[in-house]
Amino acid sequence: MSEKMNNIFRKFLIVAFSLVIAGTSSGYSAEAEPEAEDTENVVDFEHSLDDYVPAKKKYNFYFTYKIVHPWWDAVALGMEDAQKKYLDKGIVITYEYMAPDAASYEDQTKRLLQAMEGDYDVIGVDVADEEKISPILDQMIDAGNKVMTFSSSDAAPDCKRIAYVGNTHNYQDGADLTEALCEKLGYKGKVGILVGSHGAPCHEDRAEGAKDTIAKYKNMEIVAVEYDQDSIDLAYDLTMQMLKDNPDIAGFVCCNMSNPVGTARAVTELGSKAVIVGMDHDQEALHYLRDGIIYCLGVQDCYSIGFDTLQVAVKIADGNLPGALFPDKTDESTTIIYQEDAAPMLEILYGDVSQ
Amino acid sequence: MKGKKLSEKAVAVTAAIGSVLIMVTVIANTYWASKQAISSTNEAVSAVSAFYLESMADRRAKTITNLINNNFDYMEKAVSVIDDEKIESQEDLRAAIGRMKSLLSLNRFALVDEDDIVYTQYTTYTGGSRHPFLAKKTLDDKMISTVFRYGSSKDLCLAIPIDIKIMGKQFKACFVQIDINDIVDLLAFDDQESTHFALYSENGSNISETELGQLIGTKNIFDATSGNVSEDKWNSFRDDFANAKRGTLTFTIGDVVDTICYEPVADTGWELVVMIRESVIEDQFQEIREKSLATNRRQILFLLALASMFSTVLYYMIRRVAKEKLEEEKENSKVFKSMANTDSMTGVRNKHAYMETEAQLNSWIREGAADKLALVVCDINGLKYVNDTQGHAAGDELIKDACSLICNVFSHGSVYRTGGDEFVVLLSGKGYDTRDEVIADFNRQVEENIGNGDVVVSIGYTTLQPSDEQLHDLFERADHMMYDRKKELKSMGARTREFDEDKQQQ
Repeated sequence: MSEKMNNIFRKFLIVAFSLVIAGTSSGYSAEAEPEAEDTENVVDFEHSLDDYVPAKKKYNFYFTYKIVHPWWDAVALGMEDAQKKYLDKGIVITYEYMAPDAASYEDQTKRLLQAMEGDYDVIGVDVADEEKISPILDQMIDAGNKVMTFSSSDAAPDCKRIAYVGNTHNYQDGADLTEALCEKLGYKGKVGILVGSHGAPCHEDRAEGAKDTIAKYKNMEIVAVEYDQDSIDLAYDLTMQMLKDNPDIAGFVCCNMSNPVGTARAVTELGSKAVIVGMDHDQEALHYLRDGIIYCLGVQDCYSIGFDTLQVAVKIADGNLPGALFPDKTDESTTIIYQEDAAPMLEILYGDVSQ
Repeated sequence: MKGKKLSEKAVAVTAAIGSVLIMVTVIANTYWASKQAISSTNEAVSAVSAFYLESMADRRAKTITNLINNNFDYMEKAVSVIDDEKIESQEDLRAAIGRMKSLLSLNRFALVDEDDIVYTQYTTYTGGSRHPFLAKKTLDDKMISTVFRYGSSKDLCLAIPIDIKIMGKQFKACFVQIDINDIVDLLAFDDQESTHFALYSENGSNISETELGQLIGTKNIFDATSGNVSEDKWNSFRDDFANAKRGTLTFTIGDVVDTICYEPVADTGWELVVMIRESVIEDQFQEIREKSLATNRRQILFLLALASMFSTVLYYMIRRVAKEKLEEEKENSKVFKSMANTDSMTGVRNKHAYMETEAQLNSWIREGAADKLALVVCDINGLKYVNDTQGHAAGDELIKDACSLICNVFSHGSVYRTGGDEFVVLLSGKGYDTRDEVIADFNRQVEENIGNGDVVVSIGYTTLQPSDEQLHDLFERADHMMYDRKKELKSMGARTREFDEDKQQQ
């Protein structure tokens, strides 16, 4: 019993600390590397609903995201947590949370158009392609749908979507990860960049941040920029090719969740000494981080993204607009973690260090 | 065979040594018995504890297995019920799933369609990456897996393949998720202070988040025990987990020795580990040991006291018995000696005593140590006549009268009856010095008795002469003199043998 109380208290502290972090920064500071004891602050699992009183007793939402992938499973867990807490208050929320097996703006467009025909209070989108999807969202808004964006990618700045909950600093994440790489390499050497899906704002923004950072250092050079389409296997193949073409590559910047896994596999296989920096909390990537193959990972607080998405969706469903109740963009934190943080991170996220 | 005569001391020493040996043997035996008892108790308690642990682990592992099997049954039935229901919309399906979830009291009850879309009571989601059992396109058989949810929460996931169509879509699987905390509650011990259990994955991670005692806590059990047992035992322990085997492990952390019992939970890849807080077993051991030792100490002290008391009593009894025996022997010896040297009729010394005295005196005479010695030979007159005429009883009375006369007169001499009617008196010291008066008095008395018809005794006497070589020399002279006196007395009218014989002839 005391263990449970300790656990709750510990997690309460995590929440408090996370809120402070979230409130005082837009992401993270490259100057302050997180230390091992801060690992539990990377992802916040303890959430409470805010004081907003929903207008209805029943809501039905539709969410679609880029691709079936563990990253969005973490977002889903946050959503489920919020759904249960609403249920405890007597408010029934049902929703669909759907994605294709491969990222595709066509598939997303199709899903959104189908959702328009459904009886949903709010439709949420993790934009697969900013340019292609934003007009669809405008069209849905015009048709009377309440549309929001969430998780990793927002729509185009001029899109009519109502609000966005998720990472608002993808460019900065890419820049900060790359800065860590450059420092590690002594600000010299060749770098390969791996991106996820073409047009995916979060991936593209990170890639931009990476490119701009490397451009600052005259002794550094980008030798290739490749898109893995959110496929680990493709990331592996692309890295193998890049290493064959440029055996002296000193480092890789990986802009999505699949990039660092595929890159690490290839680097390990070829025995390369290239330094890898990447995004997210894939279990295999965390193992590579623990083993020193990956230098650092930028971990987004997916759980909080999911929880907050559902809260904002309820408010939007009730006809609210960004303002006092919720911002236009609800920012969620990203934290860079290093080798010493890998084991506790594995424990926190996957419950079993050795799995 | 003639053995050496046992002395009182030898008997006492033997008794004392015997007592000490018996005491030592009894104490040693008691000590050994107590050691054996403690050892046996330890083994018994250990065996019982191990058995108790194994039993607890086994029961709880079976509880989980039963829970799993029951849930598989429920799932089959639930799917059958849903299949029979008229479901025309997603709302109908969610409602049906909700009813089943509520009925089964599950954390999650869900159906999966052929596109890996998961249908639960409140959500519909693409779950291909989320549920490991969906990694394969088709589910061939029942599947049990552990779901590590973010935030370290863990579920037991049970999945079964299904083949039903709902709203025109083919459904391929049904699964439930059971919160491990619910399983932990099911397995909880009444005595949570001293009895601990935890569920571990194959690689030693604690998946129940229950503390396995203070030392292991919720740590990985391999990490916690590494270095605290031999490498062989540790490797064997790991192999048991990897191969879903049961077993026990005793390890030392700090100074505390703990024993745990582990039991595989069928088909889950889990090992259920049970441990009773070490102090409980230790306290039990200690209590039994102390009780046993205290009992044995009391027993030994009691035995010591008893043996000491017994030895003392025995010693005094033996000593007393020996003393009494010795005194009795002395007394008997005296009596026997007295009997051997005393004439039973008259009570004076007999012929045997005279011979002993004669031997002693002969020795002194030869050595020249004898001095002032006189010998008187006495013979009763007319004894044969009295025997023949008045019977032996009268004869005996005559002998006694003669002896009384002799003893009374020669009160300072040693009187011996050396034959039927013969006495010898040895005079020394005062008897010697007064011999002449005494002899004269005796003769006067005898002479008076002739006239009175009383006993008449003829005496002859002599003293030790330098030429004498032995007492017999004195006897010879005195005997001659006695015969002379006998004649003299005859002439005075006293009966003599001759006189009596003459009378008989007449």
